[in-house]
This record gives sequence, structure tokens and C-alpha cells, in this order.
Amino acid sequence: MLKSLTSRLCAAAASRALHTTAPLQEVRLLTRLRVVDNSELGRRAMAEGKPPKVICVYNKKRVGLIGDRVMVAIKGQKKKGILVGLKQNQKVKVPKFDSNNIVLIDDNGTPLGTRIHVPIPTILRTILKERTHAKGADYTKLLGIATRFV
Amino acid sequence: MSKSSLKLLCTALSKMKVAYVTTRSCYYQPKFRPPYWYSPKERVMSEDMLTQENRDFLEEVRQDKLNLQTAVESPLAKVETEEVAQWTPTTRRAGLIARKIGNYPLWSKDGKKFQTTLLQVVDNHVIKYIPPEEFTPMKTTKLNWREKRRLGCLLVGSETIDPSIVTKEYCGLFDSVGMLPKRHLRRFMISPHAKMPTGTPLFATHFRVGDYVDVRAKTMDRGFQGVMKRWGFKGMPASHGVTKTHRRPGNIGAGGEKARVWPGTKMPGHMGNSWRTLRGVKILRINTKHNILWMLGVGIPGETGAMCYLFDTVLPLRKLKTPPPFPTQPFVDDIPLEYYDESIHMFDTPTITFEES
Amino acid sequence: MALVIRKSSLDIFSVGKWMLRRDCRLLSTLPEKADVLENTEGEQEKPIRPKPKFNNPVLEYRHVYPEFLPDPNPKWRNSLREKMERADMLKRRSQIDIPEFYVGSILAVTISDPHAQSKTNKFVGICIERKGCGLRAEFILRNVIDHQGVEVRYELYDPMIQSIQVLRLEKRLDDKLYYLRDALPEYSTFPLDMDPEILPEGTPVPVNPVQVKLKPRPWLERWERQELKGVSNIEEYLKEKDRVRRELRKTPWEKYDLMKQYRKTIPVEDQSEIWSEVYNQLHQMRVSRKKLSRKRSFTINKPQLG
Repeated sequence: MLKSLTSRLCAAAASRALHTTAPLQEVRLLTRLRVVDNSELGRRAMAEGKPPKVICVYNKKRVGLIGDRVMVAIKGQKKKGILVGLKQNQKVKVPKFDSNNIVLIDDNGTPLGTRIHVPIPTILRTILKERTHAKGADYTKLLGIATRFV
Repeated sequence: MSKSSLKLLCTALSKMKVAYVTTRSCYYQPKFRPPYWYSPKERVMSEDMLTQENRDFLEEVRQDKLNLQTAVESPLAKVETEEVAQWTPTTRRAGLIARKIGNYPLWSKDGKKFQTTLLQVVDNHVIKYIPPEEFTPMKTTKLNWREKRRLGCLLVGSETIDPSIVTKEYCGLFDSVGMLPKRHLRRFMISPHAKMPTGTPLFATHFRVGDYVDVRAKTMDRGFQGVMKRWGFKGMPASHGVTKTHRRPGNIGAGGEKARVWPGTKMPGHMGNSWRTLRGVKILRINTKHNILWMLGVGIPGETGAMCYLFDTVLPLRKLKTPPPFPTQPFVDDIPLEYYDESIHMFDTPTITFEES
Repeated sequence: MALVIRKSSLDIFSVGKWMLRRDCRLLSTLPEKADVLENTEGEQEKPIRPKPKFNNPVLEYRHVYPEFLPDPNPKWRNSLREKMERADMLKRRSQIDIPEFYVGSILAVTISDPHAQSKTNKFVGICIERKGCGLRAEFILRNVIDHQGVEVRYELYDPMIQSIQVLRLEKRLDDKLYYLRDALPEYSTFPLDMDPEILPEGTPVPVNPVQVKLKPRPWLERWERQELKGVSNIEEYLKEKDRVRRELRKTPWEKYDLMKQYRKTIPVEDQSEIWSEVYNQLHQMRVSRKKLSRKRSFTINKPQLG
């Protein structure tokens, strides 16, 4: 009883917009994300009410956009992930989601899970193909485990 | 001897002081001198005590003149010698006077959205051509200016107005060449062989779709503004003990040798209402019936309804590559209603679809 | 002219009726006749789609095609620009059927998408906002797919849109349904393979009086200050502090601000000019569409999704 109450309070505190980027809903340092794949680590983290925190966004502006690679702190570990859905206002015809979604990957771009529960935007297909180079990490594996595109 | 001369000098000096009290030590030549064809336009309107019949008669005369003006055909059609002149990449053509009438989006054939600005070319006519030998512009510090640039001056007017609402001098300017006065008058510096006879109408088809033009217009008048709006300064914090300096510039100079305000320091002052040229704007679409040009982008200075001046761009990479209509496009009856750039999706064509690869 | 009409109507009717009309953006300075007509019907059951009135198309069309009215800001008005814009809109409408829909209607939009594998993309959702005028008009669809709220913004005149289909034509109690983001997910969940519901001809657009339940705080906006009609349980989450502040922030004088309303609306003289220009074409398109749909309903019992 007490546990559930505290966890709910924690969740409320986490989603309460204390930072100045609240109106923009930007993904930047220490933003809490939602893991949407079925990897063991991500599932447990979400179930315990300890969502991953962004500790680095790998682009020049340090503000995450759709398809950007981020490093997150999740259950005391450093993991990399790809943003597959944003709360921020998007361009025309690009879907906007109710939460900031992430799919955990390893250094080669292979997803840790085997399935993505939520729809992901189709524009991700183009973005991830552009990001993938012949010798670097292959991010397009993520598209293979998606269940639905919007 | 010396004493007396000193005294004389003193008296002379004292006299001089009394005689010439000036506030300025030297005379500044005015930077702007209006060109010689310039004359004041606005007239103080007064009640003429005309009877209704006289009023009607005046109106009739005005209408007759206007009809004559509209009925006159382009002098280009008759003059054959102009056809000999050929366009070269160094030629400077005449420009157009247009009105900014708003913006709306167009879409490209691959589905991208472009914001465009609509410019309407309103009733443009050539008023006068002044050859380079007769053209004496305002004084410049460069002495060889006229020898180097052999450019003539072409006066172009737009929007015919009622002759009774402008001054006599302004009206006389047009009367001497047999035109009705125009609301907007503008000069374009052109190559001598690009000259056009008086009364040549200019249309939007003077430019082609896909060409790049420069647009010169006055920016929006914003009045006296502080440094934050005028120069984008950051201001000072809202709190932490800051008093009465939230939007002020702060320091404007150092001490020591440079203990003065340096020329060109960014300070508060009048913002806007200055001439600005936006270079290299692409034309995406042309309507020949209403003479409207769709320009790419929303950066054209001025508010909706402001006048702007268009001429061929001077940017080296966007200059005209193929000969344009020279000296201008004459009026033709059977031209299509609209020209589109090849990248632009027409609204009456089917929906864009993509092939499955 | 408009002011004179306004004054006389003000004398006859109470000022209160100015606020009766919810739709501020579309509200026009109608002549007295139109006022009487609107006042006789109840506020909610206002027939937005009455039988075609050929003498006064303004009444009918300003709700059905709101984007044909220009932005009322006088700084941006230009009659020629508006005319060109309307001509382009009609050209686009001749290519694709853009149906009548309102905030609260459920739509299915198919677009051609270069990123998708099949090169088309279909989305179904409830329209939570509709804004913009001219070619800039846009709307937002919202749906909950796999327990994840998704919103997509579309431009009405985008040439990438292949079809817009109205699955359920209805209105809600509010002008904007942004509060669905903070409501329980079942209020914005719609199946992707929904069948279109066809209204019998001639019926007015029904108003759905559903009142949603909000999730507990934190919310995205301060819903309690917005005087929403479509929310049922807003009071149980408020503290005393919020109620006090809501009272402080109220602006009850704004409904009497006639000048403010005038600035937000297009005068009826301008409107009648606009509608007389586009009425014929729009009416023809509508009639031909009705014929087509009738044919389809005869041949197929259940119309298929596009």
C-alpha cells in the first residue's frame, strides 16, 4: 500500500514539469523517458517506476529529435537508445506522442528487446537509413522489430 | 608702433567675433540631394467652389484622358530598331514596381511546402529615358563615376492617379511626355541599348518563372526602439538585485585612451523604415491576367500593401543565363494564364503519389 | 455600415445573445434577420446545415467551410490575394473531396508517404482542433493506438493527402478538445478499421454531449480556468487555491467588448461577397458528391473504407 503510494508520488514528481523546457517538451539532459521495447532491463525499470534518464544526446544541439541516439542511465547502468516518439510538437504529418519513447540498443545498433509495443513513425525509416553507414552501427534492425507504423 | 598695431588687431578681432556667431565650425554637404526630376507630389487640397456641371466636365475630361491612356498601344510594337539590340550577360535591363499583397504556401512536386510572397505589378509604364550623357546624378566623392559606368536612367511609374490631386510640377513632369501622373515613380539604371520609348507598358512577364530577382523595399517602421529589439542585446537579469536596468545596454565603452563612445556603437534609436535589398529571390509562379508574381520565401521587406522594386539579380551565380525578354515582353493576347516553375505542384493536377520501389 | 446594423440590433435584442454564439472566430456581424433566425432555435441544436438557402448562403457555409473566410487582421487583408487563394482552394477541391467536418468528428486520412513501405499511410482519429484560413488551414487528429496516444497534424490543402473520409460526423461541446490529452484514454480510442456512419439526409449535425473524465493532476494546461463544458470531474482535483485563482482570472467583461468581437470577425458585407464568389462551385461539388454517394449506397450495402 505504502509502496504503491510512494511509487505513484515518485512518478508524479518525475512527470511534473520542473524544468524550464516544459512548454517545449524537449528531450535534453535528465529528461525521463519511456522504454517501449520488451527488453528485460527496460521492462523492469518501467515496472519499478524508475524510468531511464537522459545523460547525453548525441547531436550538436543536445536536444533530442526523432531518431536521435541518446545515452540513458537505467537502473544504475549506462545504455544507449534511439528516440522513437516525442512529446514535442512535430512537423506536419509527423505523429506526436503522449510520451517520450525510447528503444534500447547496444553499440552495434542491435535492439536489446525483440518487439516494440507501440506504433512508431514511418519517417524513422528514412532517418535511420540515412544514419546507418556501411562500417558503422546498423540502426535499421530496429525497424524489423516494430509492430506498427503510423 | 607695435602697440598700436596690436590694438588694431584686437579691435578687428572683437568686431569679427560680434559679426559672425556660428554654431557649426564647418559646412556639411547634404548627403542626399534629390534628383533633378524630383518634385514634391502632395498638394494642399482646397475648396474650388466649382459648380456641379464643371465638376462633371472635369470628370469627363479625366475619363477621356484615362481611356486614351489605356487605349494607347505599346510603342515597342511599331519601333523596329529596338529589335536589333541583343541581350548580353553584362546588360542591365529595366525593373518593375510591384506591391506586396501577402503570402501563402505552394507545394512542390515532391510534397515539400514553400512559403511564398505575392507581388502584384500594378499598371507599370515607362515614363522617360534619360541617356547617360544628360544624366547628372547627385554629387559623389568618386570622380570617375560617370566615365566608368555608362548607364542611362529609366523612369518607371506605377498606378495612374487623378491629375488634380498632385502638384503642378509633379503633373508637368508627366505632361511633358504625354502621360497621366502616376502615384509611384522610380528610376532604374539601365544599359543604353535596353532603353524603351515613353509609354511602354511593363507586365509581370518581364521576368520569367525560375529567374532570380533582387527586391528593394522599405522595411517596416518600428519607431524608436531599445537595444534589445533593435540589436538583439540580451538585457540584464530580471532579479538578483538588478534595479531599473532590465532592458538597458549596459556598458558602451572603455576608459583610458579610448575614453569616449566609439563611432558605430549599437545604441537605442529609430528602427525600420530604411531601404533594404533582398537579393536572389526565385520566381515560382506568374499570373499574367492580374500580373502577380509568386516569390519564394517571406523575407521581402515591408508590410502587406507596401511597394517594392524588382530588378535582375546581381548575384554572380544566380544571374540570368539565357536571354530574357529584351528590352521587355510586349503585350500578347494568347499567352497562358499562369506559368509555373517545373518544381511546383499545380493545384488542379492530381494528388502526388509515390511509386513503390 | 456594419456598425449601424450592429447598433440597431443591439437596441432590439439584449447584449447577451452576442455571447450565446460560441464560435467566436466564425462569428459574423449578421443582419437582424439572421439574428432572429439563430435565436429562435436552441443554442446547442442550432442547425448548422439547414436546407440550402439560396438567398443567404452566408449562414450555411461559414460553418461548413470556415477556411474560405480570410484572417480578420486588417494588416494582412488584400482582396486580390484572397481571391487568388480561394481560386487555388477550389482547384484543389476539384481534385479531392474535402468533406464537411467539425471539431469532434472522427476522420480517416490517407496520405501518400514516401517513408512508408506501401507509400501510403492511413490514420484514423478524432479531430481535436481545426484552425487557419485559406491554404494554411490545418487540423489535428488524435487517437490511442496500442495504449499510446498519438496525434497527427494535417494541412487541409496539402497535395499529398489522397483522401479524407468522415467516419462519424458530429460535434462536441467545446471548440478545442485539447483536454483529451489529459483525459482517460478510452475517450480518444477509436478502432482503425471503423466503418463510416451515414447520417440520414437533411438531419442537422448532432452534438455529442459526452463529458470526459480527466486523469489526476499534473495536467498539461490549467483546464479549470477555461470554462470547459465537456469535462465532468474537474472540480474534484481542485484545491481551494485553484478555485480562488480561477475567480481572480475570470474576465466577465469581455463578452460585452463589441470592438474585440468586431476585430475577430469578418463583416457580413465582405462575407456575402466571398460566398457569392465561391457558392456556385462549392454547391456543384456538393451535389455531385451526393449523387456519387447515393449511387454507391445503392450498389454496395456497406461502403468500404478508402
